[in-house]
Amino acid sequence: MFVNPLIRPLAVAALLAVAAAPALAADGKQLFTDKGCVACHGEDANTPLDVGYPRLAGQNAEYAFTQMKDIKSGARANGLTAETMKPILDEVSEPEMRALADYLATLPRLAGTGPAGAGKKLYMTKTCVACHGKDGLKPVLKTYPAIGGQEKAYLLTQMKDIKSGARKNGATNAMQPVMHLVTEAEIEPIAEFLANVK
Amino acid sequence: MKTIIRAAAVAFVATAAFGTIALAGPRDKPAQGKSVGDKDYQWNAGGGEQDEALHLKPDLKNGRDVYEVCAACHLPEGWGLTDGTFPQLAGQHNKVIIKQLADIRALNRDNPTMYPFALPDQIGGPQAIADVAAYIGTLKMNPEPGMGDGKDLEHGKKLYKDNCARCHGDHGQGDNAKYYPRLEGQHYNYLVRQYQWIKEGKRRNANPDMIKQIQWMTERDTKAVLDYVSRIKPPADKIGPKGWKNPDFE
Repeated sequence: MFVNPLIRPLAVAALLAVAAAPALAADGKQLFTDKGCVACHGEDANTPLDVGYPRLAGQNAEYAFTQMKDIKSGARANGLTAETMKPILDEVSEPEMRALADYLATLPRLAGTGPAGAGKKLYMTKTCVACHGKDGLKPVLKTYPAIGGQEKAYLLTQMKDIKSGARKNGATNAMQPVMHLVTEAEIEPIAEFLANVK
Repeated sequence: MKTIIRAAAVAFVATAAFGTIALAGPRDKPAQGKSVGDKDYQWNAGGGEQDEALHLKPDLKNGRDVYEVCAACHLPEGWGLTDGTFPQLAGQHNKVIIKQLADIRALNRDNPTMYPFALPDQIGGPQAIADVAAYIGTLKMNPEPGMGDGKDLEHGKKLYKDNCARCHGDHGQGDNAKYYPRLEGQHYNYLVRQYQWIKEGKRRNANPDMIKQIQWMTERDTKAVLDYVSRIKPPADKIGPKGWKNPDFE
């Protein structure tokens, strides 16, 4: 059979491309260990080493990917991201970030202990629900985070940092203009409610 | 050997291309439209969903359902927030609502907070734009909009007459046919923000004539003229009773 030499490389290419994609996605779990993520975020991505570190299990893949990219580029530099996490992400490529994000999205999120205090009413009336959805679990866009069941101290820091402008990467430009509707005193009950979402 | 290298090179390119396709899809935003100040920018160029929506027969019942999304911020009454975070939509001209909504979702006007709620998968296509604009048209206006400090109204009145009235009308009523918004009864802080963004070119779908018209105005002028116009009472038949709650959302 005659195979046009110009077509043959394309056929090989197609095979390679098909073979490459699934192998990468499956690497997410391995990468989560190999790149050292487990040390701070816990083996199940639900058991952070310290107060104020985020839970990652069940996070929107698109959001998790964007945050990794932004921390690596320096676009997100609030809290521990610049000093602690950026050096680690400097060793992670974008395809690896994609694989990590896809893996994290498949993990079960940690259910909280149930409704808490006045926070739910604030969550419903301060426009939080419009973007993050019922109980913080149904964000309106893939680039927005799921925040139900998130670590409380982490939620507090992010709300404060977005309000103050210390965190201004990505879609925080959608949240910052409404944060003046939430007082410092109201941030705490909102975080309390979200951290305890079942 | 050469063939192998070439195959590998093609494979690399192909993988990159496949990768791109895998990353693309529904999450992609449309390309950003031209901005005021760009070469060939034309204010109110029309076309697209704006024109489609204008020619559709609105369905008020669906408009009410679409508006439920909007109500989370603009409130069920369409009164917005008096602090200006969200503008009053009630009383606004049909064509203005259609144009601005179409512009926001076509990325001709930046509004990151509202953007997701303007998307077709949230509210629907051009028919939904026509429907929700018609529904907003049924809402009566907030009788107590946010205002400025009221200290410089005479100055504001003169500025308004000389600089704004030609397009926005002698009492801030705007002009539906020309897509000029109603300003009377709009929250002062919202007017200040938009005015500032128009002046700086940050409001990308702004009318270049207005940008020129307001360039020379000082901070005092700005406050005075916007305080003046926010205080003009719209016609009585357009204003709702104090404390009115929209029964469609109870």
